[in-house]
Amino acid sequence: MKRAAAITAGAVIAVLALAGCSGSSGAGATTGAASGKVRFLGPEDPKTFAPVIAAFEKSHPKITVTYSQVPFDQYSSTLQQRLSAKDSTIDVYAVDQPNLAQIAAQGFLVDLSDLKDKAKAATSAAQYDINIYQDKMYALSIWNSTQMLFYNKDILDKAGVAVPSVDPSKRWTWEQIEDAGKKAQAAGIPSGLLLEQVEAYYQLQPLVESLGGGSGISGKDMLTADVTTDAWKKAMDWYGSTFASGFSPRGVGGFQTSAVFTDQKTAFFVGGPWDVGNFAANAKFAWGVAPHPYFEGGKPVTPTGSWSWGINTASKNQAAAKEFLEFAALDAAGNLATTEATTIIPANTKAAAEYLPKLEKTGGASTRGVADLITYEIDKTAVARPVSVGYVQFESLINKAFADIRNGAPAGERLAQAQQQIKDAWSSLK
Amino acid sequence: MTSSSSSAGAASRSARGRGARRKAPRPALVALLFLLPALIALVVLRLAPAVVALVDSLFRTTLLGGTRFTGLSNYVDLFGNPDFRNTLGVTLLFAVIINPVQVGLAFLLAVLFTKRAAGSRIWRSLVILPIAVPPAVSAVMWSVIYRPDGLANGFLAVFGVPPQPFLTSPYQSLLSIIILLSWIGVGYWMMFLIAGINDVPSSYYEAASLDGASAWRQLWSITLPLLRRPLAFVLVADTVSNFLVFAPVQILTKGGPNGSTNLLMFDIYTRAYSFGDINKAQAGVVILVLITVVIVAIQFRLLRAED
Repeated sequence: MKRAAAITAGAVIAVLALAGCSGSSGAGATTGAASGKVRFLGPEDPKTFAPVIAAFEKSHPKITVTYSQVPFDQYSSTLQQRLSAKDSTIDVYAVDQPNLAQIAAQGFLVDLSDLKDKAKAATSAAQYDINIYQDKMYALSIWNSTQMLFYNKDILDKAGVAVPSVDPSKRWTWEQIEDAGKKAQAAGIPSGLLLEQVEAYYQLQPLVESLGGGSGISGKDMLTADVTTDAWKKAMDWYGSTFASGFSPRGVGGFQTSAVFTDQKTAFFVGGPWDVGNFAANAKFAWGVAPHPYFEGGKPVTPTGSWSWGINTASKNQAAAKEFLEFAALDAAGNLATTEATTIIPANTKAAAEYLPKLEKTGGASTRGVADLITYEIDKTAVARPVSVGYVQFESLINKAFADIRNGAPAGERLAQAQQQIKDAWSSLK
Repeated sequence: MTSSSSSAGAASRSARGRGARRKAPRPALVALLFLLPALIALVVLRLAPAVVALVDSLFRTTLLGGTRFTGLSNYVDLFGNPDFRNTLGVTLLFAVIINPVQVGLAFLLAVLFTKRAAGSRIWRSLVILPIAVPPAVSAVMWSVIYRPDGLANGFLAVFGVPPQPFLTSPYQSLLSIIILLSWIGVGYWMMFLIAGINDVPSSYYEAASLDGASAWRQLWSITLPLLRRPLAFVLVADTVSNFLVFAPVQILTKGGPNGSTNLLMFDIYTRAYSFGDINKAQAGVVILVLITVVIVAIQFRLLRAED
């Protein structure tokens, strides 16, 4: 049904694009030699990609793009099945960035190394590196993400605490957050701090990296677990203690966390750019945005990463697929069109520069300075998740360890257990 | 009486059999044709996957190294793995607690709701209602109930009980899952037992009352023995369904904290779809089927012994 809808939408867009072209007598066409049909698979709603497809077809009249959606929950397993079966009805597909190494190692992604220079110029260093596996580039970054600190201004005012600045040079430490949050708790708010994805590696990697603990995966083949170092223990001890002391709430997870902030139950909240729109609509109090905190004596680190797109090795129309991919990732206007119907940061630096001021406006006074902040974080402090064929197993096991530490397991012991579990899980890869 | 009528039946069947001997193959063929869809479904949906699971569990496929036959090494690895041994322990503990609790409660409620009392039909419907809620939705509802500031702690606070950690404590999480599953399951199993109780002729109870038997005595000597067949079905079906519990674990605890709710079915799922280790997952499936078969066989044997 969705597929049919997507095809219909694609057809309508194609007709509109043709009409547009005849009107402008093909003036905007920057078409290459390729032609034909490009079939594109992703987890998003078809509406999300309608603008980029329309824009592409307008400038490349010989190529039509049809999009099919597979819901996110089934996306990675469906993709695995179809790619393993050498399904040639997928030309371009969305790649969840941490899974890139595994998909590339299986030989399901076309080597795009000839675009390396253009890709490097188009996006941030972290977003460029994330698509590289064993020195070859296998995908192009489409979207990006970061995390920042949201605070409840009303409660901090009530507690007599000066609010943090949006200026990255005045970035707060976790120690400062703890201090201010406790004062806010004394002023009547139930919790001091909550991280949006409480038990997710994406969210907690910066804690460890801030103390110089590395990603947790090391070795030449990136298949050595390294989660028992002092920095790992220190970061996770601290994280566990915030829950043990009641500074952060236990038992709230998944999609319930941002509501804790809008319900005025936590003074500080660490979340993504998507929360800007959410809070602008739902927070009935004064709030603000500040840079992602770091540990005193450590370095500022922020999460990053989102979706890249790659080309299926079994595709029969790789030339046209490549043109579409280049348009969506390397062309600023094309990349911006991918964010027209959703709230996410475009990976293309020029597109992001156009997009971010619009995002900043949505929150009014609360989000003043957020565009510059995001640009700074993506450029200076972003550390991507590690590129490893064993990332999927790693993430699943380390997330369980995070959950247990949050619920009171001693960090040192639990990390040692995770180290062994990851080693066991990886033994089935080699 | 019974034996003579059955032997007469056998005689008439064999007489019919002799008379129609020449045409015999045809009805068999027709019967086979009628049975074919069911047989095909049985082979395709039941036997073939079981064989595939068994065969897969003897191989090892790796991302970087291809597929090779490894015999029983997946089983050896699993039993050598402390996490898997913990999973087995948790699953058995879960089965030992949840099955008697659910069957016992279902029986008590069935007895209660078959008594003529004001509003018993309404109460019965309310108990059955949770079946209509999909398991995933129930799990999400209970995740809110079990939150630190949720309904459960609010309820306990009325009685002056301090807030409990529920799903976030390794000592309470399994029990919390058992309560949620019983909320769904008890009403369902109760329906079968109510049907069984309604089948018991009321004259038995009347006769017992005349003889001066107490309500307790009637329950023990009339209801329970005559309910043995539906009870046997409920016990076996409940045991099997509880070995297959997955959604609440996936949604509420992901097997934690500290593996305290890592039931076998969830462990298999994790191995297959999170770790991509389909061979060990299939070995887990074979182990799960064996455990279930053994326990159900013991249950049948015990129930037969009572005969």
